[in-house]
Amino acid sequence: MYESIGSDRFELISVAQDSGDPKAVGRWFDRASPTFRCVIDPTHQISSLFGWVNVPSAAWIDEDGTIVRSNEGTYPGESTVRFGLGKVRFGDNSFARATRDWIERGADSEHVWSSTELAERLKPVDDDTRLAEATFKLALHFEAVGDSERALKHFAAAQRLAPDNWIYHRQGWTHRGALYAGLKVLRRSNHLQKNTDRSFYDPTGLPGEDFRRFTQPEWLWTPAVRRFKQLLGRQ
Amino acid sequence: MIILANGNTTEVAQRTEDAERLWVRVGDLPGATGWQMKPQGMCLGEMCVPLPDDKVEEWIADAEDWVWMCYSEFADMIGQQYARDGDVWSLGSVPDVRRSGLEIGIAPDFEVTERSGDTLRLSDFRGRKVVLFTWASW
Repeated sequence: MYESIGSDRFELISVAQDSGDPKAVGRWFDRASPTFRCVIDPTHQISSLFGWVNVPSAAWIDEDGTIVRSNEGTYPGESTVRFGLGKVRFGDNSFARATRDWIERGADSEHVWSSTELAERLKPVDDDTRLAEATFKLALHFEAVGDSERALKHFAAAQRLAPDNWIYHRQGWTHRGALYAGLKVLRRSNHLQKNTDRSFYDPTGLPGEDFRRFTQPEWLWTPAVRRFKQLLGRQ
Repeated sequence: MIILANGNTTEVAQRTEDAERLWVRVGDLPGATGWQMKPQGMCLGEMCVPLPDDKVEEWIADAEDWVWMCYSEFADMIGQQYARDGDVWSLGSVPDVRRSGLEIGIAPDFEVTERSGDTLRLSDFRGRKVVLFTWASW
């Protein structure tokens, strides 16, 4: 996206919000061999500052340092992730399209928010939210020094205090393993989708947005099962 | 004793007396908490909060060869949340700072280390459009 829009026209700052193993992040950066700014923010400071509760998230900041849009669930495109014998598809192209429009047209872009619109979308911050933030940082500290027991205790406490903060859930689940975390994310997002009026990400409201974002996992044998069911249906 | 605040981890001396409250040597305050004690009160950047007259004697102590401030009492007064486990104290964001800028659309400034080792400050990009994007490997 960065190169195709024109790297001389804007600055892309890519913030990896991983605690734990810095090598995990390094691998991703190396694979992408990025030409843009790459920073690692292991304490999730930037999400706290911008009030984001999930990743990926993004903000457009104009030449005067004003936020003109801020969203969660801002995948740069559609992707597929394989795990074991399964795969899931997630993301859509709506955010990349809108970003291109903003870079081209600036304040004239229809996707730009006023400060009032931005304020309306800010998530409320109360004492529990602030205590959850402090508790989460405590968990990250114990994770970093290798005290797993205390890390898990404080991850759990942060999750209880701010149940809608998916960063706290996902980072805590990741402490138990990447596959465990991945499956929990899928289960939780599909559960919210089916049974509640909430979603894993707040809708961005951008044209072409795919609300599902995460598909149900598709297993290696799923196409064969689907075909088998079709055949049965025909009989 | 370790203090986690503003993304930093700082090791500071602990007052042996009254360990249930967070006492910080006045000289350690800026590095560990971001706040600095000035004649007008406690200051964080340009924001200053006067200390209540009737509390000064209780919150500031001359002990163990140093001048200490009872930071946890001050945090309670300004509504800053904190969590503690043993000798590790984690300070949440300062309520007024976190919201006020965002509510009028000002991008909060931050300073982080780039992968190349350089320091990146958001405000250095004034005059250019910036797309700030967060992600994680999980």
